[in-house]
Amino acid sequence: MRLIRPLSVVLVLVLALAAAGCGGGGGDKKSATSTQGVGPLRVGLVTDTGQLNDRGFNQLAYQGLLRAEKILGVKGRVLESPSPADYVPNLSTLARQGYDLVVAVGFDQAAAVAKAAAAFPNTRFAIIDVSQGDLQDKPKNVRGLVFREQEAGYLAGYAAALQIKSTPGPHVISTVGGEKQPPVDRYIAGYQAGAKAADPTIRLLNGYSQDWVDQAKCKELALSQIAAGSQVVFAVAGGCGLGVLDAAKEKKVWAVGVDADQGYLGRQVLTSALKKVDQAVFLTIQDVKDGTFVGGADSVFGLDKDGVGLGAFSKISKPSLPRVVAKVRRQIISGVIKNLPTTVS
Amino acid sequence: MIEPGGNEQPEAPPAKAQLALGLAQLQRAGGLVTPVITTLLAFAIGGVVVLAAGHDPLATYRAIFDGAGLNWFFPWVTGADRANAALNLQQTLIITTPLILTGLAVAFAFRCGMFNIGGQGQYMVGAIMSVWIGSSFAGMTGWLHILLTVVLAMLAGAAWAGIAGFLKATTGAHEVITTIMLNWIAYWGGSYLFGLGGPLQSDVRKFVPISSDVADGAKLPVFWGDPQLQGLHVGLFIAVAALVVFWVILSRTTLGYQVRAVGYNPEAARYGGISVARNYVVAMAISGTFAGLAGALDILGWQFRLSVGAVQVSQVGFIGIAVALLGRNTAVGTFFAALLFGALYTGTSTRSLDPSVFRPDLAGSLAQIIQGLVVLFVGADVLVLYVWNVRRKLRRGRVTPAPRPATGAGP
Repeated sequence: MRLIRPLSVVLVLVLALAAAGCGGGGGDKKSATSTQGVGPLRVGLVTDTGQLNDRGFNQLAYQGLLRAEKILGVKGRVLESPSPADYVPNLSTLARQGYDLVVAVGFDQAAAVAKAAAAFPNTRFAIIDVSQGDLQDKPKNVRGLVFREQEAGYLAGYAAALQIKSTPGPHVISTVGGEKQPPVDRYIAGYQAGAKAADPTIRLLNGYSQDWVDQAKCKELALSQIAAGSQVVFAVAGGCGLGVLDAAKEKKVWAVGVDADQGYLGRQVLTSALKKVDQAVFLTIQDVKDGTFVGGADSVFGLDKDGVGLGAFSKISKPSLPRVVAKVRRQIISGVIKNLPTTVS
Repeated sequence: MIEPGGNEQPEAPPAKAQLALGLAQLQRAGGLVTPVITTLLAFAIGGVVVLAAGHDPLATYRAIFDGAGLNWFFPWVTGADRANAALNLQQTLIITTPLILTGLAVAFAFRCGMFNIGGQGQYMVGAIMSVWIGSSFAGMTGWLHILLTVVLAMLAGAAWAGIAGFLKATTGAHEVITTIMLNWIAYWGGSYLFGLGGPLQSDVRKFVPISSDVADGAKLPVFWGDPQLQGLHVGLFIAVAALVVFWVILSRTTLGYQVRAVGYNPEAARYGGISVARNYVVAMAISGTFAGLAGALDILGWQFRLSVGAVQVSQVGFIGIAVALLGRNTAVGTFFAALLFGALYTGTSTRSLDPSVFRPDLAGSLAQIIQGLVVLFVGADVLVLYVWNVRRKLRRGRVTPAPRPATGAGP
């Protein structure tokens, strides 16, 4: 390995010279560092192995790119990764072709982004849902795109408490988490804080399914919470959480969806706490276009940048909810409500 | 290899015997001809699909060829194009390496008369073992660490396949069923091990379902390309060496003779004093060794870690079945078939195809169509042989080859 490294350095140099000399095959001669160069900004997106139509982060990121193409006039290119073997070649191909920004989706690509960023220090990278500080050697040309889930959770909890406030008897709401880990607990902590703010006497239940896939586990947990009196169950457990929405439908109580708008799954879905990956991608592209992109740190997307938020309210929910929630949202953005909790005791 | 047109045949053997003789000759000639025809046919039909989608098939295939880096072999490709071709070819060969081995895993079992569908599971236990051993013992000497990891991964693959061989030998349980079941056990086993809270989940990246990284010392050296950007690792040579080992075992050892004898006719082999049961176990174990080695080379060569997602999307072992079928279970055939499938994979990746020429989501589907067609036609090589036969007969002027005498007609 030690012997081979000088060889490869030579190869990279030759390559760089060749690329500089010939201007590449694409005819775009602009250097990787210039933002206000000729031609439209070029943005590459590399999916993880979930692929483009995953109804999840890849798809949302793609929608963000499409929006940037339409509104900001950038030129986008999507590279899919059917196998992890594609991560490094995909990222380095875009960097080599002088793309102005390369966006990678998901933690699976964290190691690949760290390597590509080290090899192409003049290319800007962004990685979704991974903190830049967690990457190896903390590269200066990478921006982590992370989210303040607690703010979406707070709004959801506030809405949940309001919805059941006028019902007789003790008021109980609950949460079903996939596993006890920071993003999950940020949602849950926010939800609990929001509910307490709307109704200080409300009782809170919380449990973890220890699973992200098996709907039966989440459903079982939700049913036991409902049996204990819960009237609104917040599912923070990915695919497993669909079991929560199912349990709520069965027992005629409310549920709150997560990450994407899950209102299409039935009227029992009071609302959904959204993580707007599309917005994060769009805003990051806009930063590059405006010349305000800075690597070496995280972009934290909260309500202020519309990076998190609530989905549509159920048709049979209280008509006053949107108005009240909008007010709370403004209070969070303006800092009247601050220091939202991010951990669950 | 191709027999010169049957000139030495006597003029009037019985029609049936002549047909059998001709077919045997054809089959030998077909060893080379049918895979080539099969492949060309698959590409031709793939071209029709491309055409139907409103694209130029030739331009598309050219783009796939270049995207796989195969234009590197042309001396007139120079400058930036050449550097780019080198990068693409490195990726093609990285994919080819495990395909050679999973192809051999299927081929070896085939030669013993068994259909090993379990290459994927055997590959996966090899990969899991490699992640485990490779990420442990951080202070160990590099080459020793690599050796230990590779050997244990091969043993893991051998044991995994050996289970199916053992069940067949002792209870007669069909290997197709048991290997498929073992695939799923490996799939869910891996998902459990690297899942959140799983025993092999990373200590550093606590909140994502991914393993620890392989120690730097245990990574295979890269001999072509940038070691930091997934250059080509020396595993390719190990895979090529495995091809030689495969050939030597089958053609030059008593063990290979026995394996082939069982493959041709287990009853005859038993009558000849060969233990059929023992050969089933041994052949499956050797198959699994190849697949386990493939897992080790991937992990130590470029992957360095496994995530739940990586375990679940992996198809290497399944493509190995197509590789073995197309390669007709020979060492040389397996090499070229693996290269074809590796090139097809890299060539149709979205980074290789210009989105203005070919929509990226269509490109990936095209690769799958061609792969599917190859497998389909390989299954239908008897048809190719038949057509070949009729054509030759027509050329010889015998338009009505078999007058079908009344002997076979009566009830």
